[in-house]
Amino acid sequence: MAEQAPALKRAQPLTLRDRLSHVMNSVISVLSFVVLVIFALAMILPFIFSIANSFKTLPDINANPQRLLPSDLDEDGWPDFSIQGYREVAAGDFPRWTFNSFAYSLSVMISHLILDSLAGYALARLRFPGRDAVFMGIIGTMMIPGIVLLIPRFIILKQLGMINTFAGLVLPVMADAFGIFMMKQFFESIPREIEEAAKVDGANRLMIFARVVMPMSTPALTALAIFGFQGAWNDFMTPLIVVASDKNLYTLPLGLALLRGFAGSQFRWDTFLAGSIVTTLPMAIIFFVLQRYFVEGIAYAGLKG
Amino acid sequence: MFGNRNFVVAVVLIVALALAVLPTAAQEGEAVELTLMGWSSSSAENDRLQQMIDDFNSEYEGQIHVTLNLVPEYDTTLQTALAGGEPPDVFYVDSFRLPDYVEAGALMPGEDLIEEPDDFYPSLRQAFTYDGVFYCPPKDFSTLALFYNVDMFEEAGLEPPQTWDEMRAAAEALTDEDAGVYGLVLSADFARWIAFLYAAGGSVTDEDFTEMTINSPEALEALEFYTGLYLDGFAATPSELDSGWNGEAFGKGLAAMAVEGNWMVPFLADNFPDVNYGVVELPEGPAGRATMAFTVCYAVPAEAAHPDESWTLVNWLTGPEGMAQWVSLGLAMPTRQSLRDQWLEQFPELEPFLNGAEYAHKWQFIPGFQDVLDTVNDNIQRIFAGTQTPEDALAEIEEVGNEVLERYQAERAEE
Amino acid sequence: MIQFFGRSYDREDLIAGVLFILPAALIFLIFLVIPIVFAVAISFTDWNGISPPSEANGVGLANYEALLTQPGIRQSDFFKALKNTVYYVIGVVPTQTALALLLAVIVNQRWLKAKGFFRTAFYFPSITSSVVISLIFMWLFTRGGLINYLIGRIFPGYNPVNWLDDPTGLIHNILGLLGVTLRSAPDWVRTKVLGLTIWDWISGPSTTMISIMLLNIWTTSGTMMVIFLAALQDIPRHLYEAAYVDGATGWRAFWSITLPMLRPTIFFVVTIGMIGCFQVFDQIFVISSGGPAKTTLTIAWMVYRNGFMNSDMGLAAATAFVLFIIIFSLTLLQRRLIGERMQI
Repeated sequence: MAEQAPALKRAQPLTLRDRLSHVMNSVISVLSFVVLVIFALAMILPFIFSIANSFKTLPDINANPQRLLPSDLDEDGWPDFSIQGYREVAAGDFPRWTFNSFAYSLSVMISHLILDSLAGYALARLRFPGRDAVFMGIIGTMMIPGIVLLIPRFIILKQLGMINTFAGLVLPVMADAFGIFMMKQFFESIPREIEEAAKVDGANRLMIFARVVMPMSTPALTALAIFGFQGAWNDFMTPLIVVASDKNLYTLPLGLALLRGFAGSQFRWDTFLAGSIVTTLPMAIIFFVLQRYFVEGIAYAGLKG
Repeated sequence: MFGNRNFVVAVVLIVALALAVLPTAAQEGEAVELTLMGWSSSSAENDRLQQMIDDFNSEYEGQIHVTLNLVPEYDTTLQTALAGGEPPDVFYVDSFRLPDYVEAGALMPGEDLIEEPDDFYPSLRQAFTYDGVFYCPPKDFSTLALFYNVDMFEEAGLEPPQTWDEMRAAAEALTDEDAGVYGLVLSADFARWIAFLYAAGGSVTDEDFTEMTINSPEALEALEFYTGLYLDGFAATPSELDSGWNGEAFGKGLAAMAVEGNWMVPFLADNFPDVNYGVVELPEGPAGRATMAFTVCYAVPAEAAHPDESWTLVNWLTGPEGMAQWVSLGLAMPTRQSLRDQWLEQFPELEPFLNGAEYAHKWQFIPGFQDVLDTVNDNIQRIFAGTQTPEDALAEIEEVGNEVLERYQAERAEE
Repeated sequence: MIQFFGRSYDREDLIAGVLFILPAALIFLIFLVIPIVFAVAISFTDWNGISPPSEANGVGLANYEALLTQPGIRQSDFFKALKNTVYYVIGVVPTQTALALLLAVIVNQRWLKAKGFFRTAFYFPSITSSVVISLIFMWLFTRGGLINYLIGRIFPGYNPVNWLDDPTGLIHNILGLLGVTLRSAPDWVRTKVLGLTIWDWISGPSTTMISIMLLNIWTTSGTMMVIFLAALQDIPRHLYEAAYVDGATGWRAFWSITLPMLRPTIFFVVTIGMIGCFQVFDQIFVISSGGPAKTTLTIAWMVYRNGFMNSDMGLAAATAFVLFIIIFSLTLLQRRLIGERMQI
């Protein structure tokens, strides 16, 4: 809007009130941009420092964490980057853990996209007895600290023979309350008229859901996909109890926790930062790719004006 | 974006991936399969342990095969496995946690199964003895000693302190607040202060854990000495020195002394190789010397699937030969007295830590003692913050402690 | 139409509804509902969490009494944890919701260049696991760290705050500036209510707790922003176009269209934020372990400590269940407050 103001000015004479509002709009735009940049810096700077420090030696990290380049110089006078941390990381079974993490996160993401949307749609639109109770029950499961459920869940998985299996990893988290709740709220905000139009045309509920509702929900599904993938990617406690005794099934967070060493209290920062970056990078790329599906202002076909 | 066909393709892909990752069925063999569960340590230590397990496996080829399983978040993982009825065949137990596991009936007494038990230092045997029963042999141990910065001491013309008075005087002399350097880095932590409590002749509870004995003049003297160092400005906490723990502050050269264990030696070598430091035994208090022994044992579960093989492994790892191999890196100290001289020849600079074994106290109380531990830390932190007095702190610790002991005694009476 | 308990349901909707929810409901039943029932049962026993649960002895309501009514360390710890947790929720939930909405609205503006960059940047702290982010945060907030360095540059003569190891409460500090300390305060503040003195109750969050609150706001705002972004895009454009014709732009359009249309999402974000904050654990686990001086002792941390460090899983389960009741009641209340006005 700010850029259009001069063109408007030439086209026709403006009242004082119009001028003021244009100035106000420009000021607001500039201020917003400043706010945006400040927040963006606050969010990103820590990672820049982490990446920079991951290429330094341990003593250098401890002595000069604020420097972006290694303090030591090589014989040609260039900063002497250290990859010691990455070497330690590579010594673990990282390729396998990365593969496991991808398999786990993708499975969880896909099953959330299906099961959470189905359940969310049922709760938002389809009236059946006990719907409210089921909804409160689902939200209710989020309110118990997961830590007291670790042992009971282990016992159930043991009864099912799923300890140290990939199925045991995925099955318990194939649907989640957060996703169902989120999808329900999204579906509720979609105008009903569209579905009713399809119903008049003779479509059944599954068809309406798959052909009308889902395609309209790209932003919400994108969010659901991101959260599902990311939740599984960073999950620590759930995989821990299921696959603790099989290194071949470890995901990255478990592998990373192993690298911490010294019972967790003392850090080899070079290894730790390198490991963090190796685990964060794929997630960052996936987010960057998926977030393109947030295109503002979906225009609803067939519902103009 | 998520068309139906893509879904199908994706699902098929995932299933294929899943099948690829599924563990291949274990080979049928005659050897007994054992798992040893522990936590991950430095990579040097992890590698050495794996090497020892490999040696064991080749020595017992065809009879026993051991898999080493170092897990993150150890207590949670172990507790889940035990409660779920899938205990590992051998696992680490820290002395502080021993009473919890014994009271839960999770451990098999090792009394008659441990080889040459009298060779272990008495203080370490005590750490794994509960109700008079010796449960599991210590794999290694650490004691607290005093680290000092040699350069700082030489510059000030000081000798490493031998008594509390000398320690306080040195801390005062070496503090230079303008330069941000303190005589001592001191954490508000029961696991450090307790060594001073014992050196003052105090104690935490009576022998039978029927009542707290911590509200005593000796304990007050120890608490006033410890917190006085801080309140008078001769000591700073690690966080005030931009550090996560004592070792880091000492390594950065921001404190001239630190009370820590031998785990700090490899830490300094890795992180602060240029620091010129020395180690002496903890200074003598009003009642003589005292230190703490922090130690971990190899335990066998009460419901062991293969008790004989499990004990064979434990005795191999803690026997004179296994122990000698385990401690030869200098990262851990031998728990067997017979190995003392041989080890000291190799690592003379670590003598103060090993000497501590002679007069160390065990870090072990009763189940439920975490409440007391937290209360002590809370009170020391409040004294540091200036909102609590040492007298009131001891009274509060005594009250909480007696509540915990009473509950413990009542539970025992029921059984 | 089918009749159930005096209500009529569309037959097709009913069948579709049950079938749609069934797969998720089965997963929930097996891996959440059964374990929760199990945990509730455990809360009436003295189970230590180590031996097989079948060996535990029933103790009736003893665990609940120890937490709520019986004076002692467990009661005072519980109410200390409740106090800390409530301060935490009050500080974090409104702030992160408002910040996330602000960022989402700005990023959603058409004139904004480099949207992808900003979206990714704001989401970045949410990408990393809470353990990694907590460690990076600790490093920033050390006494000589970047945060104090920056404040020092802006305000010369600033005496660095020891963020991660300072037990003094915010309200105590403000009272202190006004000359009110425990010594000068009237005697009634020393009265004990539910295991804590009135003076302790009104402490406010400690400096360390405030740091952890900032950390949480910093990391979850990105997640919440993504949710708001998705919701903003569900608002049909024609609504704004119609409003524009009526002369409603900028602020007025925001108040009259955006906010009402976002109501289901706001309800979601506030509810999720509240549920999450009441269970704050990871950050405490990595950064403070409940210290200094128990000022970051939270209910979820207490659950972990009793269950896995102090071999009292019965007490841990009871604590978890009390927490559940607190959150559940607040959610119902909130649903009444925001939910009833939802007309969608």
